[in-house]
Amino acid sequence: MASSIADQRARACRTLLAQVHAITDKEGITPSALHAIKLKLVALAAKQDLFPPGDFAMPVAQGRNHPLLVEDDDGHGLYLTINLPGKVAAPHDHGIWCVNAAISGRERHVFYRRTDDSSTPGSATVTRVGEVTVEPGTGMAMADHDIHSTEVIGTEPAIGLALYGYALARFPSVVWFHPDYSTVRASPSRRHAAMPA
Amino acid sequence: MARTPKPRQVSITNTGQVTSCAADETILHAAIMAGIDFPYACASGNCGSCISLLDAGKVSMLPRGDAALSPAQMKAGQILACRAQPKGDVAITWLGRGRR
Repeated sequence: MASSIADQRARACRTLLAQVHAITDKEGITPSALHAIKLKLVALAAKQDLFPPGDFAMPVAQGRNHPLLVEDDDGHGLYLTINLPGKVAAPHDHGIWCVNAAISGRERHVFYRRTDDSSTPGSATVTRVGEVTVEPGTGMAMADHDIHSTEVIGTEPAIGLALYGYALARFPSVVWFHPDYSTVRASPSRRHAAMPA
Repeated sequence: MARTPKPRQVSITNTGQVTSCAADETILHAAIMAGIDFPYACASGNCGSCISLLDAGKVSMLPRGDAALSPAQMKAGQILACRAQPKGDVAITWLGRGRR
């Protein structure tokens, strides 16, 4: 009997995570490891038949994450993300590595480097150091404290895969930078609350 | 010639301050520009740190993530100051506390 799309998708996600662990067990989280993971994620995102739009509800507002595979034991989190045109995120670092790959649509990622010495609480300056448009056939990878902003461009939703070193529910503090105000602010860490007693 | 909409008055209950906000400006941006210590983190509709109660008036909301403001919160009169543009004079109370 032919397996369902959901079964095939689940199997493909498990295979991806096994490949990711094989890479990181051998290399650790290095730039080359993140690049290799990105290539695996781009290959999975290219299998559009595994991610039919009808299986994933659109956002109520303009951005939504659907868990595909969240590992136990403080492992990785793999999500299908849907962001609508106009959706943005200010420059931020996740405090954990992440890799994105597009299924459809286009999202611009701008990368920044912090330029102050972190000596003044609440203040920070950043400078723009690069940019990539993530669209079908492409992806992007970031180390723990790399800084990026995002913006959905064009007229269609940006649908993609996002793999994080930790599940979103166990995220460390996300640090947000605001070049217009020269400020920095942090979202609370979810790690303490998510950990078993 | 198109008329420029009159700036709106934003009353912030927590501090008793009143600031002016352009029709195409967010409440958070107006507050920061006025030197008000308004709580925020992402300032882009993703984290919910600037969640506030709309005590009076109406706002329109810029794009945001679902996780930052639920339909139930919206129904309860809550807004994200970083996404909210006033349609007229408004009064709000911030509910969160951003971290530096």
